[in-house]
Amino acid sequence: MRFDYLLKRLGIFLAVIWVASTLNFLLPRLSTQNPIRDKLMSQAASTGYLQLALEEMTAEYEAKFGLDRPVWQQYIAYMTDVFRLDFNYSITNYPRTVLSMIQDALPWTIGLLGTTTLIAFTLGTLLGALMGWPRSPKFISRLLFPPLLTLSAIPGYLLGLVLVYILSFQLKMFPTFGGYTIGTIPNWSSVAFWGDILYHSILPALAIILGAVGTWALGMRAMMVTTQGEDYMVFAQAKGLKGSTLFMRYAVRNALLPQATGLALALGNILSGAVLVEVIFAYPGIGTTLFHAIRENDYFLIQGIIIGIIASLGVATLILDLIYPILDPRITYKKT
Amino acid sequence: MDVRQRTSRRDFIRIGFLGTSAALLAACGQQAPAAPPTAAPAAPGQFTNAQPVVQMTPTAAAKPAAPAADAKPTAAPAAAAKPTEAPKPAADAKPSTVGAVEGVRQVPRNRTMVLSFAGTGAAEGRWTDYELWNRYALGANMQNGGLLFYEPVYYYSAFADKWIPWLAEDHKFSDDFKQLTYKIRSGINWSDGQPFTAEDIAFTLNSLREMGPKVALGNEVQQAVADAKATDPTTLVINFKLPSPRWNLYMAFGAGLGIYIVPKHIFEKVDDWSKFTFYDPEKGWPVSTTQWKVVHTSPQQKLIDRKDSWWAAERGLSRMSKVERLVYIAYTTETQAAQLFISNQLDASLDVRPATMEQILAQNPKVTTWTGNEKPYGYTDQWPTNLMINNTKPPFDDKDIRWAISYFIDRDKVVQIGNRGAGSRSPLPLPNTPAIRPYFDAVKDLLKQYDTNEFNPEKGAKLLEGKGYTKGADGLWAKGGEKITLPINGWAVFSDIGPVISEMLKQQGIDASYQTPPDFNDQAIKGTYTGYMTGTGGSWVDPYFHMRLFQSASGLGAVPVNISRWKNDEYDKIVDQFVQTPLTEKDKLLGLYVKAMEQWIPNLPVPQITEWYHRIPCNQTYWTGWPTNKDPYVTAPSGTGRFR
Repeated sequence: MRFDYLLKRLGIFLAVIWVASTLNFLLPRLSTQNPIRDKLMSQAASTGYLQLALEEMTAEYEAKFGLDRPVWQQYIAYMTDVFRLDFNYSITNYPRTVLSMIQDALPWTIGLLGTTTLIAFTLGTLLGALMGWPRSPKFISRLLFPPLLTLSAIPGYLLGLVLVYILSFQLKMFPTFGGYTIGTIPNWSSVAFWGDILYHSILPALAIILGAVGTWALGMRAMMVTTQGEDYMVFAQAKGLKGSTLFMRYAVRNALLPQATGLALALGNILSGAVLVEVIFAYPGIGTTLFHAIRENDYFLIQGIIIGIIASLGVATLILDLIYPILDPRITYKKT
Repeated sequence: MDVRQRTSRRDFIRIGFLGTSAALLAACGQQAPAAPPTAAPAAPGQFTNAQPVVQMTPTAAAKPAAPAADAKPTAAPAAAAKPTEAPKPAADAKPSTVGAVEGVRQVPRNRTMVLSFAGTGAAEGRWTDYELWNRYALGANMQNGGLLFYEPVYYYSAFADKWIPWLAEDHKFSDDFKQLTYKIRSGINWSDGQPFTAEDIAFTLNSLREMGPKVALGNEVQQAVADAKATDPTTLVINFKLPSPRWNLYMAFGAGLGIYIVPKHIFEKVDDWSKFTFYDPEKGWPVSTTQWKVVHTSPQQKLIDRKDSWWAAERGLSRMSKVERLVYIAYTTETQAAQLFISNQLDASLDVRPATMEQILAQNPKVTTWTGNEKPYGYTDQWPTNLMINNTKPPFDDKDIRWAISYFIDRDKVVQIGNRGAGSRSPLPLPNTPAIRPYFDAVKDLLKQYDTNEFNPEKGAKLLEGKGYTKGADGLWAKGGEKITLPINGWAVFSDIGPVISEMLKQQGIDASYQTPPDFNDQAIKGTYTGYMTGTGGSWVDPYFHMRLFQSASGLGAVPVNISRWKNDEYDKIVDQFVQTPLTEKDKLLGLYVKAMEQWIPNLPVPQITEWYHRIPCNQTYWTGWPTNKDPYVTAPSGTGRFR
């Protein structure tokens, strides 16, 4: 790999981060909603008492958050903060910092989304490979294709609602919401507590896996069909190689490359969480936090989470770009 | 760089897979949520605590007698009642917790009360304010368990119209109501062992006065209080800038009005109250004079345990609570709350809409309400619902148009359809509490002349015709091609009646629509809205706090946000007179109220709709003795802190 290519690719990565960060700064500010005023009014509405001089208090906190300054000054302060990975306080959860809120939510999302993405990828890829392999028993394709096609068209949050209704509400097999049982004092050294977390994550995990496995399977199936006509497959068959060798080392291996790209992007996208699935299950992850931040127009919290998503996606695509020649020997960045 | 020269692709993929797996595991391990805080160290010899009011009984025990309410502010505390020994847990009672932390005891489910509330500190099933126990921080919402750690100098019982002295024994105003002296009880300690004295109250008031708009209620203290002094540990003297005969209301709790007393020895070292969390388990924070302590707090739940003793129980003012642990979980949706009630995971929650209540009652016979299984399932709050209209936006700047809108609304149908019959109409922006009822009576004749609840489409049509409006082929009223367009903003709690009102107005020819924009609050304050479903609140003892919500200016200082933007100089002056009139001069107050309503009612700045009911499901599976209309010893445990 050429050094100048590496440098160019890093430059593009930084430019993408900068442009995305700038948009991330501007977009929430296009809304006319003032998060501080909104917070104070919500407090008034929930207690029934509207205190005096609410606007003075709003102005006081705008100054505290630097929102009374010209937008260009706010932008410079924001970019400086981004550079230092300091995302300020959450406006609507003051005095909590954005970083502490992300730290609270991140492990839950990484645990849930990381696991489910890998499971859905593995399962979907395997099923897709079997469906697309002409020597597979016919019943596999006939049995799996219709449900997988259906699942690929249903979003995870919708499946979540169905699962809650059937498995939680009707059959009472699983809890309806939360990261662990009500009243539980988290004890990270307790096996029972980990079991409880696992128990609570089954339904959201199932919703995400069922929602994603079809897409992975259909993608893999299509790639498997494409590889059938390739010269190397014909050559391998002519050599009289075993079926399992043809399947694993020639067909699956080559069909996996686009799947690997998809997996890298999906893993990079983990930070954004499965927002609606998390909200439905009141799962304490980053998706729920982002949903709440957008609803309340909490500039700083939105910025912090989105920057994380942008950075993780940028890093994922950068790594993918750099390792592609290793995964696929036909790709090279050498000068010709 | 050509990796193939050194490593085969297969090796690379193997190594990469192992490395990634290891990194993921390590990352998850490092980023696991922090270990929960340990319980506050038990302070030896500290007082007992227990807040008084709700006397719940575990199902295994006999229901205790209702607590005696102390009537007169000056009365000495009742003879000490011995704290009732909590019954032993039922043999089959299971611990409510799965995990366990060393030093934190397990509490059986039938000694644990699980509550679910919302408000500004909760979102999508998680607490965002879980470390916030300081009422004066911007994000603080005392509905979510915080109020348990503060006690007022007085309680006011809205149902009984009685003042109950608490941290104070007595109070006295000067003749001109510019000075208020409290006699504070002696021998009360904060939970860290420091004595609670009048100095703490003086410090709280003086600090709020200095901070002004930097903290909640700072403006109100700044406007009214000249200074506060503790002349000795049990005597507090407050000097006011203006006659302030209602100041005791600020020192009691209710509807977000309460001034919460903070421990001087801690807060005097805090530079910025607005971001001070008042949470540090190692220091035993939050310290309080109450019977509760925080044992665990996280985005998922707040666990609050009862201490072993409390000064108020020792002095016979109250019993110790039989609830040994309170679990606060964040409210998500009504549907989810209903599921939790049906599966007996929840004991009480934020109020629910009538349709949801009916489902809960039908599916879990153990759940009851303020009115049992009968409608309206709740009690009226101090927050009657109205259709706020922006009085500066044409054509609604014309009182006749506002009256026409009012005549077009059939409140009975709103109750029947929106509330499924579980509600009632509200004629005035005023709560129907015993102390305020005489004010309704005082304006009876006025209401006969101007019936604010009248459904009379013909009258409404005549008013519009008188203004030059005609009904077009589309069935909508218009003048010069301009329809009467009324977009009504609302939010989740009006999902039952908001669309009904909008449809009702449409049928009468108003181009109305109901919507729930995310910036409805912002629009309300900035005055960019046209219609807005909301309520008006604040008053318990007399109508002042409701009246001032329609003041456009005050000669006494700042006024609250007048969302209706109605302007009436005469009304403004009357409200200023009203606030300076002592609560004891009831005739004068009634007279002033009538005068104010002579301005308000004919102009009808805001059509009134219905009473706001707190319809709170109360689960009797683990706890009995919930307050009801037959035994109204306190309001049902709503989020506004009246639950103790």
